[in-house]
Amino acid sequence: MIKNMKNMKNITAIILSGVMLLATSCNKYLDINTDPNNATSASAELILPQALNYTASMISSFNNYGVQVGGYGANAGGYGGFGTSITYNFTTSEYSGLFSSSYDLLNDYQTIINKTAGDANYNYFNAAANIMKALHFQLLVDTYNDVPYTDALQGSKKLSPTYTDAKVIYKSIADSLDAAIAKINAGAANTNVVPLGSADIMFGGNTTSWKKLANTIKLRILVRGNGKVTFSNSTFGSDGFLTTDALINPGYTRDNGKQNPKWNTWGWGYTGSPGTKSWMPSTFSKTFYDGIKLTDNGRGKAVYYQFPTTPTNQLGFEGVSVVSSPDGTFWFPSTSRVGTSAGNSVGVLKGPNAGLPVITAAESYFIQAEAALKGIISSTTAAAAFSNGITASFKYLYMLPDGSTSGNPTADAATYLTDNASSYLVNYGLATSDAQRLEAIITQKWVALNFVNSDQSWNDYRRTLYPKLVNTPGATALQTFASRVSESTRPDKLPTRVLYPASEGSYNTANVPKGISPFSSLIFWAQ
Amino acid sequence: MRKLLYTFVVLFSMSLAANAQVRTLKGKVGDQNSAPLQGVTVRLQGKAEKAAITNEKGEYEIKAATGDFLLFSSVGFRTERIKVTAAGTLNVTLTEQVNIMDEVVVTAGGVKTKRKEIGTTSSIIKAESLVAGKSTSIAGGLQGKVAGLQVSNTGGGINPNFRLVLRGQRSLTGNNEALLVLDNVIVPSSMLGNLNPEDVEDIVVLNGSGAAALYGSQASNGALIVTTKKGKNGVTQVGFSQTTTVESVAFFPKIQERFGAGGSGYGVDLQGFGNFSYLENQSYGPAFDGSKRPLGPPLADGSQDSTYYQFYPGHNDFWNQGLINQTDFNVSNGDANSTMYFSAQYVGQSGTTPGDLYNRSNVRLNGTRRIGNTINLSYSTSYTQNRYDITTATGSMYDQMLNMPVNVDITRYKDWQNDKFANPNGFYNPWYPNPYFTAANNRSATRNDYLTANVELKFTPVKGLDFVARQGITTRNYSNKNTTGAFKFTDYAKHTDASSKSDIAASVSDGMGYSTQLLTDFFTQYKKTISDFSLNVILGGQWKQDQSKGINVSANGLVVPGLFNVNNGVGTPGASESNSLSHSMGAYSKGTFGYKNYLYLTVSGRKDWVSILAPENRTFFYPAAEMSFIASDAFDFLKNSRTISYLKLRGGWSKVGQVNLGPYALLPTFSPASGFPFGSQAGYTVGNTLVSNNLKPEITKGYEVGFDLNMFDDRFTSNVSFFHTNTTNQTVSTGVSGTTGFTSLRTNTGETMSEGLEVTTHVTPIRSKDWNVTVGGIYTLLKNEVVSISADLPRLGLTSTGVGSYAVAGQPFPVIMGYDYKRDAAGHVIVDATTGLPTQSDTISNLGNAQAKHKLSLDGSIKYKAFTLSFLFEYRGGYQIFNQIGPGMDWSGTGWRTALYDRKRFVFPNSVIADPANPGKYVTNTNIEIANGNGNNGFWTDGINRGVTSNYVTSADFWKLRELSLAYNVPSKLLANSKFIKGCTVSLQGRNLLVWMAPDNYYTDPEYSSAGSTSNGIGLSGYETPPSRYYGATVSFKF
Repeated sequence: MIKNMKNMKNITAIILSGVMLLATSCNKYLDINTDPNNATSASAELILPQALNYTASMISSFNNYGVQVGGYGANAGGYGGFGTSITYNFTTSEYSGLFSSSYDLLNDYQTIINKTAGDANYNYFNAAANIMKALHFQLLVDTYNDVPYTDALQGSKKLSPTYTDAKVIYKSIADSLDAAIAKINAGAANTNVVPLGSADIMFGGNTTSWKKLANTIKLRILVRGNGKVTFSNSTFGSDGFLTTDALINPGYTRDNGKQNPKWNTWGWGYTGSPGTKSWMPSTFSKTFYDGIKLTDNGRGKAVYYQFPTTPTNQLGFEGVSVVSSPDGTFWFPSTSRVGTSAGNSVGVLKGPNAGLPVITAAESYFIQAEAALKGIISSTTAAAAFSNGITASFKYLYMLPDGSTSGNPTADAATYLTDNASSYLVNYGLATSDAQRLEAIITQKWVALNFVNSDQSWNDYRRTLYPKLVNTPGATALQTFASRVSESTRPDKLPTRVLYPASEGSYNTANVPKGISPFSSLIFWAQ
Repeated sequence: MRKLLYTFVVLFSMSLAANAQVRTLKGKVGDQNSAPLQGVTVRLQGKAEKAAITNEKGEYEIKAATGDFLLFSSVGFRTERIKVTAAGTLNVTLTEQVNIMDEVVVTAGGVKTKRKEIGTTSSIIKAESLVAGKSTSIAGGLQGKVAGLQVSNTGGGINPNFRLVLRGQRSLTGNNEALLVLDNVIVPSSMLGNLNPEDVEDIVVLNGSGAAALYGSQASNGALIVTTKKGKNGVTQVGFSQTTTVESVAFFPKIQERFGAGGSGYGVDLQGFGNFSYLENQSYGPAFDGSKRPLGPPLADGSQDSTYYQFYPGHNDFWNQGLINQTDFNVSNGDANSTMYFSAQYVGQSGTTPGDLYNRSNVRLNGTRRIGNTINLSYSTSYTQNRYDITTATGSMYDQMLNMPVNVDITRYKDWQNDKFANPNGFYNPWYPNPYFTAANNRSATRNDYLTANVELKFTPVKGLDFVARQGITTRNYSNKNTTGAFKFTDYAKHTDASSKSDIAASVSDGMGYSTQLLTDFFTQYKKTISDFSLNVILGGQWKQDQSKGINVSANGLVVPGLFNVNNGVGTPGASESNSLSHSMGAYSKGTFGYKNYLYLTVSGRKDWVSILAPENRTFFYPAAEMSFIASDAFDFLKNSRTISYLKLRGGWSKVGQVNLGPYALLPTFSPASGFPFGSQAGYTVGNTLVSNNLKPEITKGYEVGFDLNMFDDRFTSNVSFFHTNTTNQTVSTGVSGTTGFTSLRTNTGETMSEGLEVTTHVTPIRSKDWNVTVGGIYTLLKNEVVSISADLPRLGLTSTGVGSYAVAGQPFPVIMGYDYKRDAAGHVIVDATTGLPTQSDTISNLGNAQAKHKLSLDGSIKYKAFTLSFLFEYRGGYQIFNQIGPGMDWSGTGWRTALYDRKRFVFPNSVIADPANPGKYVTNTNIEIANGNGNNGFWTDGINRGVTSNYVTSADFWKLRELSLAYNVPSKLLANSKFIKGCTVSLQGRNLLVWMAPDNYYTDPEYSSAGSTSNGIGLSGYETPPSRYYGATVSFKF
């Protein structure tokens, strides 16, 4: 027994020391938590191209929203269930992606800003990220008015970000654009500066273009906030505004996840299956092409399939008589309708490999025209910018996916002026009042941005109420783009905004503005 | 006189003694299956010293006299008291007794413990009870049988998933499922559906976290310790059985039967009903009139489908009658040195969803072997393979089916290949495809192979001292292929009427991977009894490795028709890979100190090291203590009580740390964005989860007290427990406002509380030679609450969307949050004074508690001679469910609610309007009607109905007849002619035969959880296939 007890003690001692030994050598056993699946850090060079590509798909989403709410599109035959798309009585789930994806994307830009802050060698990356951040905050304000800005994008530091007044955001992002331009200029003076290079899938590293983009965004902010926001600096440096289209193209091609996002949504998927067919052109929008309001054979043929006999519908009219959309929609003019081969066309969709316009030259010129009209800038005249805008619109629409031009945009733009010789909406000189001049500028912008950056036209409509609609009862589809089953209480029967998404109601309950109405809660610049 | 009397008594006694002739009595003791029982104690009543023990053949010899009473007792069997007659042999059959308190059970670590030593709540489910309903899954067989254990079937369909939770949810966003231990090896809970229930010897359920010292922190959620069968010494047994079970739908969503296809979008008739439309999916047309109506546009050949405009029950007939065939074979054998048990099972199943097939094969080999006098080797191995051939589109198929108006006889559209009206080209509805086609065209073929094995070597150098080394492995190897077939529509189909038919591109997705868990245990156990004191100490270490890998590739736009291979696609194939490896180790010690066999104190402690936390947080210690006091053995007045046969008082306290986190969760991640790389240009996106490198384990502290009381010779048995736990420092993964730049957050915060009462009681009013009736019940009261979260986060979303299941401080855990109508202070719905329409609330609010407060099971077994009838009812109550199918049913117009007001204008019930005279006050609305009481642009399909969550939150209370079975043991004399059949049982059984839902639940089984079996976000059901009932028959033979 004693012997056994002794044995046991020995054995226990062996076990205990074994356990201890293992405990001490355990670090090797336990230090295995290195992630084999995902990178745990990424450089600004790796994040920027992705963020810009994300911007392209966000701009495409904003365009979809503009097409649907802003009067370019109507429900096509073959689909039901448009619900709030035609009643305008929006819930917290409609267009919620515009909000949530914007912040997801903004976090990518913010990460670049945070990573490069204080590193003079990364001035270009820092500036580019700040310019894009300003762009997306303007898109957010124009859609939602007050949004989280000061408290936003701070991760765990502010888990329930407060909402910043829209006008304060406008002022702040205008300032940040000035700062970004200054950073680019400082970067140019630094011989060690890291060039944007191939990470810049918009301008290929051309920093002058970035400065022009910054100025153009700032001008858009100034024009829209004109009279409502007191900006700290309303002047512009010598770099000027965009005179060419700012296109994002990382190398779009017909492949899995690699198509131009607008083409991917409306045209065909890379497998050849058609995109969404639930929308078709509105009757109202076609009146600016087919001679009812204006005659525009050149751009009509570039934008619409089967123009001038393109079928249209008025939003909210549902019935079996409404024509179904063809594969690739009516916004793809080519007669080639086979998904695996279509896609080398002029117009708004062009092809799977086309660049995605962030801001077109046409938009830049029309913003300048309005700014000149209102005395915000004096670098150009309203008339000159207006004329350049029309030509630039023809040029963009006549461009093929590879950037080459089909047809003669300049000549057709001239024809457009003569075809509508008596209309002040086309011939700026005929406008006799500032109201008519503004109507001409905004209406031409509306035509130029049809299915290009439709959300920008929708913003301008809400701000200026142009293009003019007939609001009297019984107004026809030619006179208004408002839905036939609108539940809006506004005179124009249109909504004025979409609601904050449900996720904010859930996760930011205390801060999300309450009592928002899609019919009466105006964006600060809206009427 | 007194002396004389004394002498007389003595003389008389002596003469009695002389008359009662003492002789040697022989006999055999066996169990109900006539298997010999070794080790049965046979003693003369009143003479403790005169005892015999049966040998391996069950034989005994004892000196006894006629008229003496012999007591036959053995652990696990009811003691028999038999009067000695003149016969020379006395053969006795002992019946197993489930609740006897002296029995030895296998608890944590595979350590055998006397039940009376255990200070915390435990239950044993024996094989007989587990397989009574012939559930093909162990989880199904456990439903309603254990106090404190909630077994929920969280999804419909074939081999459904179950969620097993003991004593409520503790962790806010981490794992709350009970730990599953199979033959001492921790296995994933998915194994519950992949084990052969017939192999199970018993399942010990440890409700509390008492097993944590030996199994580690995963056992903080309680544990189910499954022990499989072993061969028995001296018994050779061969068994064969065949079960055939029919599965049919037990509960259909309630649909309106009066209105068919159409809606106000097509204009209204004179009565204000929406017009009929021959291609509409929404059922907002006029009331049925029985007339013959066209269905869909004419086909290219000019023919046109049609229907009578009347109700057809196709929505119910759409679901098939499933069939399950289960074949079982087993053989076991044993001698003094070794035992073995071998079994094989095959289950073949066709489901209620058209086209769904499943099969499962199991083999198991268990054995023990003595090597010399000091070494025991035991092993248990099992291999399972299952194969699924099911649709991937259950949800959309179901939605499409609900979007077929009830004037369409759905079952006519089954033959989509040959019937031109069922073919996608000719199908009448241009928007919602034929659900039969959808089910057939979207398939998943999955194979899973599971191997579980455990080898244990036990070295006993001296009696009372054991060294045990054990290696367990559980591994799953799987592959799956999901396919979508191509379909090219004819131009005619694409462009007729308002068609939105679009070509379908074929696609394929292939995945494979494995997960392997290794568990190594090494411990020593020392047992010693010194006079009144006993000691049982365990000291050990445990090492665990979890490793898994998954790879998936996919291709789209398949070129060659019918060839589902990823090399047949166009464009860049999609590819993904994930790897995971984690280690943990623990050093533990547990000691049980006994006094006089009626007082036991157990203390334990464990220290864990885990790889998935940062080095400074990776170790933690957790202690536990429990006490058991057998009052009925300690006090003489109880010992001699004829009423109380057993009384045990028990209590325990424990603290457990749990790491509710996967590996690699401490650092932010960046991943390649969709589409990248474009050529050589890479692009990475910032992950959406806010992480912390300083996460610590969650800590659960709790106590429990209770008693076990048996009375009237164990004819009344009861167990009562009260428990309370608090879990703090939760590792939380939750949604946050996207404006932070992130959408989810991982942090340590929050506290939950769970407390409740568990009562099990059974009575045996009749126990005789022919009759044995036992009835009883199990009641569980659960109060499960979120105590706090954090100042920053007043609530946590447990499911992804805004509306869903939430943890909210101060509320039951979890609650359903969603939109309600705007209401006045008294709760009346405020409607517009002109339109009569209510308004949706601005933000979501608490709409109900999702955790059942009360659970009650009533069970019984009635044995008469060779017949046994048993039943089990289960009730759950005091909670709510959000039926997410509801908005869809209202959309389609098949929903019962949509016809409540005959599709006419109506005054919103219980509503108020603003009082024009008193701003801020409201007056009852008696006459302002909602103008459009139709759908299809009217009230029912509008957001103001479908977007308001509270319309679809119903009581989740239910009663179910879980199990009903009738078994007949063919008497042995009938089998006497056959030399080799030793036993034969024929049984009929059913599961979930009857269900009673709350009257406002028109939708589906509230056990379902659309968030899945592993999510704590319970309280939401979706498009799961309707719940099933099962009924079938079994014939089994023993050879």
